[in-house]
Amino acid sequence: MADELELLRRANPVPVDAPHFGDGPLDHHAERQLNRLLHGQTPGSRSRARLAWGLVATAVVAALALALVLGGPNTPPAVAAPRPLVVRADSTPVPLQLLAERAGQDAADGSPRLRKGTHVLTWSMGMAEDKPPVTFAEERIVRWKADDTHTELVVATDPRHPGRPVLSDEDGEPRLVADGHVISRQTFGPSRSDAPPESAPPHDPTRLRAYLQEAGYSDTPLSTPQLLDSVDVLLDHWTLGARENAALVRLLADAEGLRPVGQVTDRLGRRGQAYVYDGSGAGRMLIMDPATGAVLGLESTATVAEPEWGLRAGDVMQYSAWMR
Amino acid sequence: MSNDEDFAAAYREHYWAVSRYVARRLDGRTSEVEEVVAEVFTVAWRRRADLPASPLPWLYGVARNCLANAVRGHGRRRRLVDRLGNDDTVHGRHIAAGPDQETPGGWVHDALARLSAADQEVLRLTAWEELGIDEVAVALGCGRRAASMRLHRARRRLRAEIDRVHPALAAGAHPSNPSKEHGHG
Repeated sequence: MADELELLRRANPVPVDAPHFGDGPLDHHAERQLNRLLHGQTPGSRSRARLAWGLVATAVVAALALALVLGGPNTPPAVAAPRPLVVRADSTPVPLQLLAERAGQDAADGSPRLRKGTHVLTWSMGMAEDKPPVTFAEERIVRWKADDTHTELVVATDPRHPGRPVLSDEDGEPRLVADGHVISRQTFGPSRSDAPPESAPPHDPTRLRAYLQEAGYSDTPLSTPQLLDSVDVLLDHWTLGARENAALVRLLADAEGLRPVGQVTDRLGRRGQAYVYDGSGAGRMLIMDPATGAVLGLESTATVAEPEWGLRAGDVMQYSAWMR
Repeated sequence: MSNDEDFAAAYREHYWAVSRYVARRLDGRTSEVEEVVAEVFTVAWRRRADLPASPLPWLYGVARNCLANAVRGHGRRRRLVDRLGNDDTVHGRHIAAGPDQETPGGWVHDALARLSAADQEVLRLTAWEELGIDEVAVALGCGRRAASMRLHRARRRLRAEIDRVHPALAAGAHPSNPSKEHGHG
C-alpha cells in the first residue's frame, strides 16, 4: 500500500487541473484586482473598490464622462477631478511630536469618547483605458446601536458643489444622479467581533500599534504607507475619541518619512495641519486637527503619470474626510 | 524589475496556485475563495518589497495568515468559523471513496483532521502543494531543519492515525522511513 503522503496526495480535494482553479490566464475578476492594486488603490471598502468599474468601463461610460466634463447640462455636474489640497505658503508646520503633546492634553478628560461607526466623505477616481478619469463623491454614515445592530446610509454628494448632479455607479454603470441621491440604506442584524478593525481600538500607543498591524494583516511592523492604510481602515469603522486620537498621533509621530508641511483648508472648509509621505506611485497627505490631533482626512495623489489610464502626476486618486 | 513589476509577474504566475491553496482549506467555495485570495494579494502587495525571487511559498505563507485571520475575525469570517465547525465537507467527508478502495478519500481526511493544525499544514503543503522542504520552511516561516523535523513527526502521526482509522491497512506494507522522504522537491 502507498505511504501516508501518497494517500494524502490522492485525497487532494482541489488538484492542479481542478475546473475552477486550474492554471491558465487570469479571469476577469483576477485581472481587475491586479489592476486595482497596481494603480494605487486597495480593496477593502466600498469606495476603494470603486476603481474596479473603470477598468472594465466601456466607451459609452467614457463618452458619458467626456460629455459631462466638456459639454455638460445647464447645471455643471460635480464630476471634475478635485485638485490636491494646497498648503498655505505662509503657514508654519507643526511637528507631530508637538501635536501629540497637545492631543495628550486634550485627552485628559476623556472627552469626546470613542464611538463605533463612521461618517466619511470620499472622492474616488475611476479610470478607463485611454479615457479621462472621473471622480465619484459619496457620503457614508454608519451608526451602531446598543443591541449590536447597525445601519449604513450611502448617498451621492459632493459638498464642494451643493445642489449639482453627481456621478454614481451603484449598479456598476456610472450615471448622473441628483445631489443627495440615496445609493444604499441598509440595516444589519446584531454582530460582534473580537478582531480589528471591528473590535474597539485601544488607547494605548503600543496596543494600538499591534491593533493596526492586525487590521493590516501584517506579521511584521507596519511601514509608514501601511500604517496610513490601516488608519484609513480604522477610521472607516470607528469615530475615535480623544484618547484614541492621542494614541494615534503618538504612533504617527514615530512614523518614518511623515513630515509636516503646514496648514491646509480641507474640502469641508476645516483648517488642518498637513503631513506628507512621499511614496513610490502614490503620495499621501494626512490632514489633522491642530488642536485635538484628530485625523480629518487622507489624500492620495499619483506621483507618476499613467497615460494609459489618463492619469497625470498630481491627480487625486482618493480622498477621505472623516467627521464626528 | 521594480517591486511593482515583480509583484505583477508573481500575481499572474501564481494566482491560480494560491486560489487552489485557499480552496483546499475552504473546500472550494468559489465565492469565499475569491474573497480570501483577494486579501492574500492585497497583503502581498503591501509587503511587495519583501517578495522573494521564488514567491510561491512566500505567498502560501501570506495565505496561511490570511486564513488564520479569517477564522479569527469579523463578519464573513464569523460565518467561516461556523462552517469550519459544522460543515462536514470541510473535513473532506464529502469524498466517498472508502479505505478498501485504491483512491482514498474521506477516511484520509478524517485521519488528517485528528492531527494538530501545525501537523496538518506541513503535510498539506508537502502533499497537496507539493513543496520541497526548503519551500515548506519559507511558507511556515521557520528554518529548514525545523520544517524537516515537523514533517517527519507529522508523517509519523498521520501514519498512526491512518492505522487507527483503518487497522487493516496497518497490516499492509508500511511506507519507507519518512525521514528518507525529505529530499522531496
